[in-house]
Amino acid sequence: MMFRSLIGTCMLAAALFTMLSEARAFDESKYPNLKGQWVRARVPGVTGQPSYDPTRRQGLEQHAPLKPEFQAVLEANIRDQAVGGQGGDPTFMCISPGMPRIMNPYGAMEILVTPETTHILIEHIHDSRRIFTDGRTWPEEPVDPTFQGYSLGTWIDTDGDGRYDTLEVETRYLRGPRAFDAAGIPLHPDNESVIRERIHWNKDDPDKLTNEITTIDNALTHPWTVTKTYVREAVERPEWYEEVCTEGNGHVGIAGQNYFLSGDGLLMPAKKGQAPPDLRYFKQTQK
Amino acid sequence: MLSRSSIGAIALVTALSAVLMTIDGARAFDDALYPNLKGQWLRARPPAGVRGQGPFDPDKSGGRAQQAPLTPGYQARFEASLADQAVGGPGLWTGARCLPVGMPAMMTLFRPMEIIVLPETTYIRIDHIRESRRRIYTDGRDWPEDPQPSFDGYSIGKWLDTDGDGRFDTLEVETRNLKGPRTFEPSGIPLHEDNQTIVRERIYLDKADPDLLHDDMTVIDHALTRPWTVAKKFRRDKVEHAIWPEDICPDHNGLVFIGNDMYYESADGLLMPSKKGQEPPDLRYFSQPKK
Repeated sequence: MMFRSLIGTCMLAAALFTMLSEARAFDESKYPNLKGQWVRARVPGVTGQPSYDPTRRQGLEQHAPLKPEFQAVLEANIRDQAVGGQGGDPTFMCISPGMPRIMNPYGAMEILVTPETTHILIEHIHDSRRIFTDGRTWPEEPVDPTFQGYSLGTWIDTDGDGRYDTLEVETRYLRGPRAFDAAGIPLHPDNESVIRERIHWNKDDPDKLTNEITTIDNALTHPWTVTKTYVREAVERPEWYEEVCTEGNGHVGIAGQNYFLSGDGLLMPAKKGQAPPDLRYFKQTQK
Repeated sequence: MLSRSSIGAIALVTALSAVLMTIDGARAFDDALYPNLKGQWLRARPPAGVRGQGPFDPDKSGGRAQQAPLTPGYQARFEASLADQAVGGPGLWTGARCLPVGMPAMMTLFRPMEIIVLPETTYIRIDHIRESRRRIYTDGRDWPEDPQPSFDGYSIGKWLDTDGDGRFDTLEVETRNLKGPRTFEPSGIPLHEDNQTIVRERIYLDKADPDLLHDDMTVIDHALTRPWTVAKKFRRDKVEHAIWPEDICPDHNGLVFIGNDMYYESADGLLMPSKKGQEPPDLRYFSQPKK
Protein backbone atom coordinates (compact mmCIF):
# COMPACT_ATOMS: atom_id res chain seq x y z
CA MET A 1 0.00 0.00 0.00
CA MET A 2 2.69 2.45 1.05
CA PHE A 3 4.72 1.34 -1.93
CA ARG A 4 1.83 2.16 -4.33
CA SER A 5 1.30 5.65 -2.89
CA LEU A 6 5.01 6.38 -3.10
CA ILE A 7 5.04 5.33 -6.73
CA GLY A 8 2.07 7.61 -7.36
CA THR A 9 3.78 10.48 -5.61
CA CYS A 10 6.96 10.03 -7.59
CA MET A 11 4.98 9.85 -10.84
CA LEU A 12 3.12 13.04 -9.98
CA ALA A 13 6.35 14.80 -9.08
CA ALA A 14 8.01 13.58 -12.26
CA ALA A 15 5.04 14.78 -14.30
CA LEU A 16 5.22 18.22 -12.70
CA PHE A 17 8.94 18.52 -13.43
CA THR A 18 8.48 17.28 -16.98
CA MET A 19 5.69 19.77 -17.64
CA LEU A 20 7.82 22.62 -16.43
CA SER A 21 11.00 21.61 -18.19
CA GLU A 22 9.13 21.22 -21.48
CA ALA A 23 7.09 24.36 -21.14
CA ARG A 24 9.94 26.62 -20.09
CA ALA A 25 12.36 26.46 -22.96
CA PHE A 26 13.78 29.93 -22.39
CA ASP A 27 14.71 30.90 -18.85
CA GLU A 28 15.38 34.60 -19.30
CA SER A 29 16.20 35.00 -15.62
CA LYS A 30 19.54 33.34 -16.39
CA TYR A 31 20.48 36.29 -18.58
CA PRO A 32 21.11 39.89 -17.62
CA ASN A 33 18.20 42.24 -18.04
CA LEU A 34 19.32 44.30 -21.03
CA LYS A 35 15.89 45.59 -21.97
CA GLY A 36 15.45 49.22 -22.86
CA GLN A 37 17.30 51.84 -24.85
CA TRP A 38 21.09 52.08 -24.59
CA VAL A 39 23.12 55.06 -25.71
CA ARG A 40 26.80 55.91 -25.84
CA ALA A 41 28.09 57.25 -22.52
CA ARG A 42 29.49 60.75 -22.82
CA VAL A 43 33.08 61.18 -21.71
CA PRO A 44 33.66 64.60 -20.12
CA GLY A 45 36.10 66.70 -22.09
CA VAL A 46 35.96 64.56 -25.24
CA THR A 47 34.26 66.51 -28.01
CA GLY A 48 33.49 65.83 -31.64
CA GLN A 49 32.02 62.80 -33.33
CA PRO A 50 32.07 59.40 -31.62
CA SER A 51 35.51 57.87 -31.57
CA TYR A 52 36.78 54.29 -31.40
CA ASP A 53 38.61 54.97 -28.13
CA PRO A 54 35.90 56.98 -26.39
CA THR A 55 38.40 58.61 -24.00
CA ARG A 56 40.08 60.51 -26.85
CA ARG A 57 38.90 62.68 -29.73
CA GLN A 58 38.62 61.04 -33.13
CA GLY A 59 41.42 61.19 -35.68
CA LEU A 60 45.09 61.75 -34.83
CA GLU A 61 44.39 62.08 -31.10
CA GLN A 62 43.35 58.44 -31.04
CA HIS A 63 47.02 57.45 -31.45
CA ALA A 64 45.89 54.41 -33.42
CA PRO A 65 48.69 51.81 -33.61
CA LEU A 66 48.78 52.03 -37.39
CA LYS A 67 51.55 50.71 -39.57
CA PRO A 68 53.39 53.57 -41.31
CA GLU A 69 51.64 53.07 -44.64
CA PHE A 70 48.23 53.15 -42.96
CA GLN A 71 49.22 56.16 -40.89
CA ALA A 72 49.91 57.82 -44.25
CA VAL A 73 46.41 56.83 -45.41
CA LEU A 74 44.90 58.42 -42.29
CA GLU A 75 46.81 61.64 -42.83
CA ALA A 76 45.75 61.74 -46.49
CA ASN A 77 42.14 61.19 -45.40
CA ILE A 78 42.35 64.08 -42.96
CA ARG A 79 43.80 66.34 -45.67
CA ASP A 80 41.03 65.30 -48.09
CA GLN A 81 38.34 66.04 -45.51
CA ALA A 82 39.92 69.45 -44.88
CA VAL A 83 39.16 70.45 -48.49
CA GLY A 84 35.61 69.07 -48.60
CA GLY A 85 36.27 65.40 -49.38
CA GLN A 86 35.01 62.41 -47.43
CA GLY A 87 38.48 60.90 -46.91
CA GLY A 88 38.07 57.23 -46.04
CA ASP A 89 34.60 57.49 -44.49
CA PRO A 90 32.13 55.62 -46.71
CA THR A 91 29.08 56.45 -44.59
CA PHE A 92 28.35 59.64 -46.52
CA MET A 93 26.87 57.43 -49.26
CA CYS A 94 24.77 55.55 -46.69
CA ILE A 95 27.17 52.63 -46.55
CA SER A 96 27.32 50.95 -43.15
CA PRO A 97 30.24 51.97 -40.92
CA GLY A 98 30.72 48.26 -40.20
CA MET A 99 32.47 46.60 -37.29
CA PRO A 100 33.98 47.73 -34.98
CA ARG A 101 32.79 51.28 -35.63
CA ILE A 102 29.09 50.46 -35.39
CA MET A 103 29.58 49.70 -31.70
CA ASN A 104 30.47 53.34 -31.01
CA PRO A 105 27.32 53.46 -31.37
CA TYR A 106 25.90 56.41 -33.32
CA GLY A 107 22.19 55.81 -32.66
CA ALA A 108 20.11 54.29 -29.89
CA MET A 109 20.77 50.59 -29.30
CA GLU A 110 18.43 47.78 -28.30
CA ILE A 111 19.67 44.35 -27.24
CA LEU A 112 17.38 41.35 -27.67
CA VAL A 113 18.52 38.22 -25.87
CA THR A 114 17.19 34.87 -27.02
CA PRO A 115 18.80 31.49 -26.30
CA GLU A 116 20.10 31.10 -29.85
CA THR A 117 20.92 34.67 -30.85
CA THR A 118 21.57 38.00 -29.24
CA HIS A 119 20.36 40.73 -31.59
CA ILE A 120 21.88 44.18 -31.39
CA LEU A 121 19.64 46.71 -33.11
CA ILE A 122 21.14 50.13 -33.70
CA GLU A 123 19.22 52.88 -35.42
CA HIS A 124 21.79 54.45 -37.72
CA ILE A 125 22.67 53.49 -41.29
CA HIS A 126 22.86 49.73 -41.44
CA ASP A 127 24.38 48.82 -38.10
CA SER A 128 22.39 45.95 -36.59
CA ARG A 129 23.96 42.63 -35.70
CA ARG A 130 23.21 39.01 -34.94
CA ILE A 131 25.46 37.30 -32.41
CA PHE A 132 24.89 33.56 -32.58
CA THR A 133 25.03 31.95 -29.12
CA ASP A 134 23.68 28.54 -30.10
CA GLY A 135 27.06 26.86 -29.88
CA ARG A 136 27.69 26.73 -33.62
CA THR A 137 31.21 26.86 -34.97
CA TRP A 138 32.53 28.98 -37.83
CA PRO A 139 30.82 28.03 -41.08
CA GLU A 140 32.72 25.50 -43.18
CA GLU A 141 31.58 27.06 -46.43
CA PRO A 142 32.76 30.61 -46.96
CA VAL A 143 30.01 33.08 -46.15
CA ASP A 144 29.49 36.32 -48.01
CA PRO A 145 31.32 38.99 -46.04
CA THR A 146 29.24 41.78 -44.56
CA PHE A 147 29.89 45.11 -42.88
CA GLN A 148 28.57 43.69 -39.59
CA GLY A 149 30.48 40.45 -39.97
CA TYR A 150 29.59 37.01 -38.70
CA SER A 151 29.58 36.90 -34.92
CA LEU A 152 29.73 33.95 -32.53
CA GLY A 153 29.13 34.54 -28.85
CA THR A 154 29.21 32.75 -25.52
CA TRP A 155 27.39 33.81 -22.40
CA ILE A 156 29.50 33.55 -19.24
CA ASP A 157 28.67 33.70 -15.54
CA THR A 158 31.87 35.32 -14.32
CA ASP A 159 30.91 35.74 -10.67
CA GLY A 160 29.31 32.32 -10.23
CA ASP A 161 25.95 33.67 -9.04
CA GLY A 162 24.00 31.46 -11.45
CA ARG A 163 23.26 34.26 -13.88
CA TYR A 164 25.17 35.16 -17.03
CA ASP A 165 26.74 38.60 -16.91
CA THR A 166 29.17 38.68 -19.82
CA LEU A 167 28.82 38.01 -23.51
CA GLU A 168 32.09 37.11 -25.22
CA VAL A 169 31.94 37.67 -28.98
CA GLU A 170 34.24 37.12 -31.90
CA THR A 171 33.45 38.64 -35.29
CA ARG A 172 34.94 37.65 -38.64
CA TYR A 173 33.98 37.64 -42.34
CA LEU A 174 33.93 41.40 -42.73
CA ARG A 175 33.83 43.50 -45.85
CA GLY A 176 35.01 47.00 -46.49
CA PRO A 177 35.87 49.74 -46.87
CA ARG A 178 35.69 50.41 -43.14
CA ALA A 179 37.23 53.00 -40.85
CA PHE A 180 37.47 53.17 -37.07
CA ASP A 181 35.93 56.63 -37.01
CA ALA A 182 34.67 59.47 -39.18
CA ALA A 183 38.19 60.90 -39.46
CA GLY A 184 39.08 57.88 -41.58
CA ILE A 185 41.42 55.79 -39.40
CA PRO A 186 41.61 52.89 -41.85
CA LEU A 187 41.22 49.17 -41.43
CA HIS A 188 43.16 47.00 -43.85
CA PRO A 189 41.50 46.51 -47.27
CA ASP A 190 42.13 42.74 -47.00
CA ASN A 191 39.19 42.77 -44.53
CA GLU A 192 40.76 40.05 -42.42
CA SER A 193 39.86 41.88 -39.23
CA VAL A 194 39.02 39.82 -36.18
CA ILE A 195 37.12 41.67 -33.48
CA ARG A 196 36.75 40.35 -29.96
CA GLU A 197 34.33 41.82 -27.47
CA ARG A 198 33.48 41.33 -23.82
CA ILE A 199 30.11 42.91 -23.25
CA HIS A 200 29.73 43.03 -19.49
CA TRP A 201 26.75 43.86 -17.32
CA ASN A 202 27.42 44.67 -13.69
CA LYS A 203 24.51 43.72 -11.44
CA ASP A 204 25.54 46.45 -8.97
CA ASP A 205 25.28 49.10 -11.69
CA PRO A 206 22.54 47.64 -13.91
CA ASP A 207 22.02 50.65 -16.14
CA LYS A 208 25.60 50.60 -17.38
CA LEU A 209 27.13 48.23 -19.87
CA THR A 210 30.79 48.03 -20.80
CA ASN A 211 32.19 46.66 -24.03
CA GLU A 212 35.89 45.86 -24.12
CA ILE A 213 36.71 45.65 -27.81
CA THR A 214 39.95 44.32 -29.26
CA THR A 215 40.52 44.74 -32.98
CA ILE A 216 43.11 42.58 -34.71
CA ASP A 217 43.76 43.95 -38.18
CA ASN A 218 46.61 43.99 -40.66
CA ALA A 219 46.60 47.79 -40.72
CA LEU A 220 47.69 47.75 -37.05
CA THR A 221 51.05 47.04 -35.46
CA HIS A 222 49.34 45.26 -32.54
CA PRO A 223 45.78 44.48 -31.39
CA TRP A 224 44.00 47.66 -30.36
CA THR A 225 41.87 47.37 -27.22
CA VAL A 226 39.44 50.01 -25.99
CA THR A 227 36.56 50.00 -23.53
CA LYS A 228 33.24 51.52 -24.47
CA THR A 229 30.48 52.31 -22.03
CA TYR A 230 26.76 52.42 -22.74
CA VAL A 231 24.09 53.74 -20.43
CA ARG A 232 20.42 52.79 -20.27
CA GLU A 233 17.92 55.59 -20.73
CA ALA A 234 15.58 55.86 -17.77
CA VAL A 235 12.34 55.82 -19.73
CA GLU A 236 9.71 53.12 -19.51
CA ARG A 237 8.74 53.14 -23.18
CA PRO A 238 11.51 54.67 -25.23
CA GLU A 239 10.75 56.07 -28.63
CA TRP A 240 12.75 54.52 -31.46
CA TYR A 241 13.39 57.07 -34.17
CA GLU A 242 13.66 55.65 -37.64
CA GLU A 243 16.86 56.82 -39.29
CA VAL A 244 16.73 56.61 -43.08
CA CYS A 245 20.09 57.74 -44.38
CA THR A 246 19.02 57.73 -48.02
CA GLU A 247 16.15 60.11 -47.30
CA GLY A 248 17.39 63.57 -48.08
CA ASN A 249 21.03 62.56 -48.45
CA GLY A 250 22.68 65.46 -50.25
CA HIS A 251 25.61 63.43 -51.61
CA VAL A 252 25.70 62.02 -55.13
CA GLY A 253 28.39 59.55 -56.09
CA ILE A 254 29.40 59.36 -59.77
CA ALA A 255 32.45 57.51 -61.03
CA GLY A 256 34.03 57.44 -57.58
CA GLN A 257 33.60 61.18 -57.11
CA ASN A 258 31.37 62.80 -54.54
CA TYR A 259 29.16 65.72 -55.55
CA PHE A 260 26.51 67.65 -53.67
CA LEU A 261 22.90 68.24 -54.53
CA SER A 262 22.03 71.92 -54.33
CA GLY A 263 18.89 73.21 -52.69
CA ASP A 264 17.25 73.42 -56.12
CA GLY A 265 18.11 69.81 -56.91
CA LEU A 266 21.05 70.43 -59.24
CA LEU A 267 24.48 68.87 -59.15
CA MET A 268 27.23 70.99 -57.61
CA PRO A 269 30.87 70.44 -56.72
CA ALA A 270 31.81 69.13 -53.29
CA LYS A 271 35.31 70.54 -53.50
CA LYS A 272 36.71 73.82 -54.76
CA GLY A 273 37.64 73.52 -58.42
CA GLN A 274 36.07 70.07 -58.81
CA ALA A 275 35.51 69.05 -62.43
CA PRO A 276 31.96 68.14 -63.50
CA PRO A 277 31.11 64.52 -64.26
CA ASP A 278 31.94 63.02 -67.62
CA LEU A 279 28.79 63.15 -69.77
CA ARG A 280 30.09 61.33 -72.84
CA TYR A 281 27.08 59.00 -72.93
CA PHE A 282 24.70 61.88 -73.52
CA LYS A 283 24.25 62.83 -77.16
CA GLN A 284 22.47 66.07 -76.60
CA THR A 285 23.76 69.45 -75.69
CA GLN A 286 24.15 69.95 -71.97
CA LYS A 287 21.30 71.88 -70.34
CA MET B 1 -7.46 8.48 8.60
CA LEU B 2 -4.65 9.24 6.27
CA SER B 3 -1.78 6.84 6.37
CA ARG B 4 1.70 8.07 7.20
CA SER B 5 2.76 7.33 3.66
CA SER B 6 -0.11 9.40 2.24
CA ILE B 7 0.76 12.32 4.49
CA GLY B 8 4.34 12.02 3.39
CA ALA B 9 3.32 11.90 -0.24
CA ILE B 10 1.14 15.02 0.12
CA ALA B 11 3.96 16.82 1.93
CA LEU B 12 6.40 15.89 -0.80
CA VAL B 13 4.09 17.09 -3.58
CA THR B 14 3.37 20.32 -1.64
CA ALA B 15 7.07 20.93 -1.20
CA LEU B 16 7.75 20.22 -4.86
CA SER B 17 4.94 22.54 -5.86
CA ALA B 18 6.43 25.28 -3.70
CA VAL B 19 9.81 24.78 -5.35
CA LEU B 20 8.22 24.85 -8.79
CA MET B 21 6.24 27.98 -7.95
CA THR B 22 9.48 29.65 -6.90
CA ILE B 23 11.06 28.64 -10.17
CA ASP B 24 7.93 29.81 -11.95
CA GLY B 25 8.23 33.23 -10.38
CA ALA B 26 11.82 33.51 -11.52
CA ARG B 27 10.94 32.72 -15.11
CA ALA B 28 9.13 35.66 -16.52
CA PHE B 29 8.85 34.52 -20.11
CA ASP B 30 7.26 31.22 -21.05
CA ASP B 31 8.07 31.00 -24.73
CA ALA B 32 6.20 27.71 -24.98
CA LEU B 33 3.01 29.76 -24.79
CA TYR B 34 3.82 31.28 -28.17
CA PRO B 35 4.01 29.65 -31.61
CA ASN B 36 7.45 28.64 -32.76
CA LEU B 37 8.27 31.26 -35.39
CA LYS B 38 12.03 30.78 -35.32
CA GLY B 39 14.04 30.54 -38.50
CA GLN B 40 14.15 32.28 -41.82
CA TRP B 41 10.90 33.09 -43.62
CA LEU B 42 10.63 33.70 -47.34
CA ARG B 43 7.78 34.79 -49.55
CA ALA B 44 5.78 31.66 -50.48
CA ARG B 45 5.94 30.59 -54.10
CA PRO B 46 3.07 32.30 -55.98
CA PRO B 47 0.36 30.34 -57.75
CA ALA B 48 1.11 29.31 -61.33
CA GLY B 49 0.78 32.14 -63.80
CA VAL B 50 1.30 34.95 -61.30
CA ARG B 51 3.87 37.40 -62.67
CA GLY B 52 5.44 40.60 -61.46
CA GLN B 53 8.07 41.59 -58.97
CA GLY B 54 6.52 41.18 -55.54
CA PRO B 55 2.83 41.82 -56.14
CA PHE B 56 0.88 43.12 -53.15
CA ASP B 57 -1.89 40.57 -53.59
CA PRO B 58 0.24 37.44 -54.00
CA ASP B 59 -2.53 35.58 -55.81
CA LYS B 60 -2.59 38.03 -58.75
CA SER B 61 0.06 39.35 -61.08
CA GLY B 62 1.49 42.78 -60.35
CA GLY B 63 0.29 46.05 -61.86
CA ARG B 64 -3.21 46.48 -63.27
CA ALA B 65 -3.96 42.79 -62.71
CA GLN B 66 -4.02 43.55 -58.99
CA GLN B 67 -7.31 45.37 -59.55
CA ALA B 68 -6.48 47.70 -56.69
CA PRO B 69 -9.63 49.50 -55.51
CA LEU B 70 -8.14 52.94 -56.16
CA THR B 71 -10.08 56.17 -56.22
CA PRO B 72 -10.11 57.76 -59.71
CA GLY B 73 -7.46 60.32 -58.73
CA TYR B 74 -5.06 57.65 -57.48
CA GLN B 75 -5.84 55.36 -60.41
CA ALA B 76 -4.63 58.22 -62.63
CA ARG B 77 -1.42 58.48 -60.60
CA PHE B 78 -0.94 54.74 -60.95
CA GLU B 79 -1.43 54.92 -64.74
CA ALA B 80 1.17 57.69 -64.90
CA SER B 81 3.57 55.52 -62.90
CA LEU B 82 3.10 52.64 -65.33
CA ALA B 83 3.65 54.99 -68.27
CA ASP B 84 6.88 56.30 -66.76
CA GLN B 85 8.16 52.78 -66.08
CA ALA B 86 7.32 51.80 -69.66
CA VAL B 87 9.90 54.31 -70.92
CA GLY B 88 12.58 53.44 -68.34
CA GLY B 89 11.62 55.59 -65.38
CA PRO B 90 11.08 54.44 -61.78
CA GLY B 91 7.44 55.47 -61.66
CA LEU B 92 6.24 55.93 -58.11
CA TRP B 93 8.31 53.03 -56.72
CA THR B 94 10.61 54.64 -54.15
CA GLY B 95 12.74 51.53 -53.78
CA ALA B 96 14.59 52.76 -56.88
CA ARG B 97 15.84 55.66 -54.75
CA CYS B 98 16.88 53.28 -51.97
CA LEU B 99 14.07 54.58 -49.81
CA PRO B 100 12.38 52.05 -47.51
CA VAL B 101 9.27 50.57 -49.05
CA GLY B 102 7.49 50.76 -45.69
CA MET B 103 4.18 49.22 -44.63
CA PRO B 104 2.43 47.34 -46.11
CA ALA B 105 4.81 46.60 -49.04
CA MET B 106 7.64 45.50 -46.74
CA MET B 107 5.55 42.46 -45.76
CA THR B 108 5.78 41.25 -49.36
CA LEU B 109 9.22 40.00 -48.24
CA PHE B 110 11.61 41.16 -50.90
CA ARG B 111 14.28 39.69 -48.61
CA PRO B 112 14.18 37.04 -45.82
CA MET B 113 12.34 37.76 -42.60
CA GLU B 114 13.13 36.85 -39.00
CA ILE B 115 10.51 37.03 -36.26
CA ILE B 116 11.64 37.39 -32.66
CA VAL B 117 8.92 36.89 -30.08
CA LEU B 118 9.57 38.43 -26.68
CA PRO B 119 6.98 39.10 -23.98
CA GLU B 120 6.61 42.85 -24.53
CA THR B 121 7.37 43.10 -28.23
CA THR B 122 7.41 40.95 -31.34
CA TYR B 123 10.18 42.06 -33.67
CA ILE B 124 10.20 41.55 -37.43
CA ARG B 125 13.62 41.97 -39.05
CA ILE B 126 13.76 42.31 -42.85
CA ASP B 127 17.00 43.44 -44.44
CA HIS B 128 15.71 45.06 -47.60
CA ILE B 129 17.07 48.46 -48.67
CA ARG B 130 17.17 49.49 -45.05
CA GLU B 131 17.55 47.05 -42.19
CA SER B 132 13.91 47.32 -41.30
CA ARG B 133 12.76 46.23 -37.89
CA ARG B 134 9.12 46.35 -37.08
CA ARG B 135 8.44 46.56 -33.38
CA ILE B 136 4.98 45.19 -32.64
CA TYR B 137 4.25 46.14 -29.06
CA THR B 138 2.31 43.43 -27.23
CA ASP B 139 2.65 44.91 -23.73
CA GLY B 140 -0.88 46.26 -23.66
CA ARG B 141 0.06 49.86 -24.37
CA ASP B 142 -2.28 52.34 -26.03
CA TRP B 143 -1.45 54.55 -29.03
CA PRO B 144 1.13 57.17 -28.12
CA GLU B 145 0.00 60.78 -28.19
CA ASP B 146 2.48 62.22 -30.66
CA PRO B 147 4.77 59.62 -32.23
CA GLN B 148 7.13 60.46 -35.05
CA PRO B 149 5.83 58.90 -38.28
CA SER B 150 8.00 56.26 -39.88
CA PHE B 151 8.03 54.00 -42.94
CA ASP B 152 7.61 50.93 -40.72
CA GLY B 153 4.86 52.63 -38.71
CA TYR B 154 3.89 52.18 -35.08
CA SER B 155 2.42 48.75 -34.42
CA ILE B 156 0.38 47.48 -31.52
CA GLY B 157 -0.34 43.78 -31.34
CA LYS B 158 -2.21 41.24 -29.29
CA TRP B 159 -1.58 37.53 -29.04
CA LEU B 160 -4.72 35.38 -29.20
CA ASP B 161 -5.42 31.76 -28.32
CA THR B 162 -8.15 31.21 -30.90
CA ASP B 163 -8.61 27.47 -30.35
CA GLY B 164 -8.45 27.54 -26.57
CA ASP B 165 -5.59 25.05 -26.27
CA GLY B 166 -3.69 27.23 -23.83
CA ARG B 167 -1.18 28.46 -26.39
CA PHE B 168 -1.23 31.66 -28.40
CA ASP B 169 -1.60 31.03 -32.11
CA THR B 170 -2.49 34.34 -33.73
CA LEU B 171 -0.95 37.79 -33.57
CA GLU B 172 -3.40 40.58 -34.35
CA VAL B 173 -1.64 43.79 -35.31
CA GLU B 174 -2.67 47.31 -36.15
CA THR B 175 -0.16 49.73 -37.65
CA ARG B 176 -0.51 53.52 -37.85
CA ASN B 177 1.69 56.62 -37.85
CA LEU B 178 3.19 55.99 -41.25
CA LYS B 179 5.18 58.29 -43.45
CA GLY B 180 5.55 58.35 -47.21
CA PRO B 181 5.80 58.27 -50.09
CA ARG B 182 4.81 54.58 -50.21
CA THR B 183 3.37 52.27 -52.81
CA PHE B 184 1.83 48.83 -52.52
CA GLU B 185 4.26 47.24 -54.95
CA PRO B 186 7.01 47.98 -57.48
CA SER B 187 4.51 48.81 -60.25
CA GLY B 188 3.68 51.92 -58.24
CA ILE B 189 0.13 51.39 -56.94
CA PRO B 190 0.10 54.41 -54.64
CA LEU B 191 -1.01 54.92 -51.06
CA HIS B 192 -2.48 58.30 -50.18
CA GLU B 193 -0.06 61.10 -49.58
CA ASP B 194 -1.84 62.02 -46.34
CA ASN B 195 -0.25 58.89 -44.83
CA GLN B 196 -3.29 58.15 -42.73
CA THR B 197 -3.00 54.50 -43.66
CA ILE B 198 -4.12 51.87 -41.18
CA VAL B 199 -2.87 48.32 -41.71
CA ARG B 200 -4.51 45.44 -39.86
CA GLU B 201 -2.93 41.98 -39.84
CA ARG B 202 -3.67 38.53 -38.49
CA ILE B 203 -0.46 36.52 -38.46
CA TYR B 204 -0.74 32.79 -37.72
CA LEU B 205 0.85 29.45 -38.53
CA ASP B 206 -0.99 27.11 -40.82
CA LYS B 207 -2.70 24.42 -38.73
CA ALA B 208 -1.59 21.63 -41.04
CA ASP B 209 1.83 22.97 -41.99
CA PRO B 210 4.01 24.54 -39.26
CA ASP B 211 6.40 25.91 -41.89
CA LEU B 212 3.71 28.00 -43.55
CA LEU B 213 2.83 31.36 -42.03
CA HIS B 214 -0.23 33.37 -43.00
CA ASP B 215 -0.51 37.13 -42.87
CA ASP B 216 -4.07 38.20 -43.63
CA MET B 217 -3.72 41.90 -44.23
CA THR B 218 -6.28 44.68 -44.64
CA VAL B 219 -5.21 48.15 -45.71
CA ILE B 220 -7.43 51.14 -45.04
CA ASP B 221 -6.21 54.18 -46.97
CA HIS B 222 -7.71 57.28 -48.54
CA ALA B 223 -6.33 56.29 -51.95
CA LEU B 224 -8.74 53.31 -51.86
CA THR B 225 -12.49 53.19 -52.36
CA ARG B 226 -12.74 50.44 -49.71
CA PRO B 227 -10.42 48.44 -47.43
CA TRP B 228 -8.18 46.13 -49.48
CA THR B 229 -7.64 42.66 -48.01
CA VAL B 230 -5.03 40.19 -49.23
CA ALA B 231 -3.68 36.91 -47.88
CA LYS B 232 0.10 36.76 -47.79
CA LYS B 233 1.94 33.52 -47.13
CA PHE B 234 5.48 32.94 -45.96
CA ARG B 235 7.44 29.71 -46.13
CA ARG B 236 10.04 28.72 -43.48
CA ASP B 237 13.37 27.83 -45.05
CA LYS B 238 14.40 24.52 -43.53
CA VAL B 239 18.08 25.14 -42.97
CA GLU B 240 19.73 24.75 -39.60
CA HIS B 241 21.82 27.91 -39.72
CA ALA B 242 20.27 30.34 -42.14
CA ILE B 243 22.47 32.92 -43.82
CA TRP B 244 21.14 36.43 -43.44
CA PRO B 245 22.16 38.47 -46.48
CA GLU B 246 23.05 42.11 -46.03
CA ASP B 247 21.17 44.38 -48.41
CA ILE B 248 22.77 47.81 -48.57
CA CYS B 249 20.89 49.42 -51.41
CA PRO B 250 23.28 52.32 -52.20
CA ASP B 251 26.09 49.80 -52.45
CA HIS B 252 24.57 48.02 -55.44
CA ASN B 253 22.08 50.50 -56.84
CA GLY B 254 22.97 51.28 -60.44
CA LEU B 255 20.67 54.29 -60.46
CA VAL B 256 21.71 57.88 -59.82
CA PHE B 257 19.12 60.48 -58.88
CA ILE B 258 19.83 64.14 -59.42
CA GLY B 259 16.81 66.08 -58.28
CA ASN B 260 13.81 64.42 -59.89
CA ASP B 261 15.79 62.91 -62.76
CA MET B 262 17.02 59.33 -62.77
CA TYR B 263 20.14 58.23 -64.63
CA TYR B 264 22.03 54.98 -64.92
CA GLU B 265 25.56 54.35 -63.81
CA SER B 266 27.36 52.67 -66.70
CA ALA B 267 29.70 49.70 -66.25
CA ASP B 268 32.63 52.11 -66.28
CA GLY B 269 30.99 54.22 -63.58
CA LEU B 270 29.94 57.12 -65.80
CA LEU B 271 26.54 58.73 -65.93
CA MET B 272 24.25 57.63 -68.76
CA PRO B 273 20.63 58.29 -69.70
CA SER B 274 17.86 56.04 -68.38
CA LYS B 275 15.41 57.09 -71.07
CA LYS B 276 15.76 57.57 -74.79
CA GLY B 277 16.63 61.14 -75.58
CA GLN B 278 17.14 62.11 -71.92
CA GLU B 279 19.02 65.35 -71.47
CA PRO B 280 22.19 65.43 -69.37
CA PRO B 281 22.10 67.01 -65.90
CA ASP B 282 22.36 70.73 -65.53
CA LEU B 283 25.95 71.58 -64.61
CA ARG B 284 25.53 75.32 -64.09
CA TYR B 285 27.21 75.16 -60.67
CA PHE B 286 30.47 73.93 -62.14
CA SER B 287 32.75 76.74 -63.21
CA GLN B 288 35.19 74.63 -65.17
CA PRO B 289 34.78 73.48 -68.72
CA LYS B 290 33.08 70.10 -69.12
CA LYS B 291 35.46 67.13 -69.56
